[in-house]
Amino acid sequence: MNATMSTTKSEPTAIEVENLRKVFRQATTGQSVVAIDRLSLHIAPREVVAIVGQTGCGKSTFFDMMIGLEQPSEGAIRINGKTPYADFDAFRGKMATVFQQDRLLPWRTSYDNARLPLELMGVDEKIQRERAMHWLKRLGLENFANAYPHELSGGMRQRVAIARAFVLQPDILLADEAFGHLDEVTAAELRSTFLALARECGSTAILITHQLEEAIAVGDRIVVFGKSAKLLADIHVAQWKPEDYGLLREAIQATLQSNSPDARLIRAP
Amino acid sequence: MLSDQAHANELTGRFPRQAFVSIVIFCVLWEIMSRLSPSLGIPPFAIPSFVRIGESLMKITPLDVIVTLARVIGALVLSFVGGVVIAMGMYRSPSLENYLHPLVRILMAVPVVSWILFAVLWFRGVEFRIAFVLIAVCGPVFLVDALDAMRGVSKDLRGMMRSFRPTAFQYFTKLMFPAILPSLITSWKINLSLAIRVVTIAELVGAVTGIGHQLAVAQELFSVADVFAWTLVLVVLLFLLEALLVRFEARVLRWRA
Repeated sequence: MNATMSTTKSEPTAIEVENLRKVFRQATTGQSVVAIDRLSLHIAPREVVAIVGQTGCGKSTFFDMMIGLEQPSEGAIRINGKTPYADFDAFRGKMATVFQQDRLLPWRTSYDNARLPLELMGVDEKIQRERAMHWLKRLGLENFANAYPHELSGGMRQRVAIARAFVLQPDILLADEAFGHLDEVTAAELRSTFLALARECGSTAILITHQLEEAIAVGDRIVVFGKSAKLLADIHVAQWKPEDYGLLREAIQATLQSNSPDARLIRAP
Repeated sequence: MLSDQAHANELTGRFPRQAFVSIVIFCVLWEIMSRLSPSLGIPPFAIPSFVRIGESLMKITPLDVIVTLARVIGALVLSFVGGVVIAMGMYRSPSLENYLHPLVRILMAVPVVSWILFAVLWFRGVEFRIAFVLIAVCGPVFLVDALDAMRGVSKDLRGMMRSFRPTAFQYFTKLMFPAILPSLITSWKINLSLAIRVVTIAELVGAVTGIGHQLAVAQELFSVADVFAWTLVLVVLLFLLEALLVRFEARVLRWRA
C-alpha cells in the first residue's frame, strides 16, 4: 500500500475534509492570507491521526475549523455527516478538545473543571459526580479533586484537562499541542495515557503536534502539512517497523524543510 | 500606593496599630482645640467637645440610618443589574456598543450636582429623585467596568468554553460572570463610597428622611456636634459595608492564589 494514500472513500469515514480553503483578510493591510488551501482528508472511525507541520502552516486554523469555531471559506468539513460550523449544536457532548494550555477555569476545583462538559449537557448531578471522579481517578488525581488549578503542577492541570475531555466519552477527540509545553517525562506519560483512553473510548482522534516523536508514538497515521496546510504526506505508521522510526522521522523532517514530499515516504521500507 | 502591610490589612480587614494611634492623636488634638477655642476667639459651637458629640450620637435616629442604607443598597442593586445587562448587550453587539458608548461617556462626565438639579426639576417623588441620581451616577461605572472585564476574558477560555457548545445562558453563568466577578466586586467597592456621598447630597437637598436630611437640619441649627455625629455614622456605615464586601470577596474569590 502506498504510504501517502489516505483512507479511501469506500471505507467508513468519520471525518471528511473536502477541498477545504480558509482565507483571512489582514486587518492592518487588507491583504488576503490563505491559511488552508484546498485540503482534502478522510479519517476512519476510531483512527488516531497525528497532524504535523511547521509553525504557521495552518494547523491551528484547521483545528478551530474542526471544532466549528471558524467557518470554511470554501469546501467542507463533515464529521459523521454533519458540519461542525453550520451544525454547531449537533456536536454537543460528542466532541471534546484538549488544548495546548490546560485552559482550566481558575475558579473551579479539579472536580468542577472535570465535570464542566456534563454540567453543560444537563446530565444528572449524581452521574456527573461518578463520571468526573472516575476519570480523575483514572488520571491519578483522586486526591486532588478539591484543589484549584493554581495549586496543581502543569502536568496535573493537563491531566484535569484530559479528564474534562474524556468525561464525555466523545466520538471525536481533538488535541492541539496538548503535551508540547510539558517536560519530556510527563509528556510521554500523558501521551500514552491519552492514547490508551482514546482507544478505550473508541474515539476518532486528531492530535496536532510539532513534535515528530509524539506523532510517531501516538498516530495510526501521520499527516504532514506544508505551507497553507498543503497535504505533503499521509503516512500509515503501522507500515513502518519500530526500528525504522528514526528513518521515518528524518524523512518527515526533510519533507517539512523542503515543503515537498520526501521520496523515502512514498513506500515504507 | 498602598504599602504591603496596608494592603494585607485591607485584605484581612484588620485594624493596624498605627491607624489607631493616629486616630487617638487626632481626637486628643480636637479635644484640646475644643477647650482652648473660647480663649482663641472661636465660638464654642464650632469645635464641640467629645462629650457634646457623644450626646449628639445618643440622639441618632436609627430610622434615618436605615432609610439611607436602604436607598444606597436598593439603588446599587438596580445600577448593578442594569449596568451588567446593558454591558452584556454591548459586548454581544458591537453596533449597540457604537451607539451607546459615547452616551455612557457623556453620562459619566455629568457632575453629580447637575443630576440632582435634573432630578428636582423632572420628578416629584423624593424616592424616585434619589434613586434616579444614584443610578445615573453609579450605573455607568458598573457598565463600563463590566464591559471592560468581559473584553478582558481570555480568548483561550472563551474558545475552550465554546468548544463544549454551551447555551448563551450557560456561557454567561459558567464563564463570563465568574470571570468578571473580581472586577465587579471592585466596582461595588468604588460605587459604595460614591453612593454614600451622593445619597447624602441628594437627601440634603430634597428629602425629609435619611442622614442627608438630618445633616441639613443640623446645619440649620448651627450644630457642629450633630454634623460631626451624623458624619461619623456615615463613615462607620461605609466602613461596615466595605468590611462586608471584603469578607464576601474573600469568600467568593478564594480560588485566587
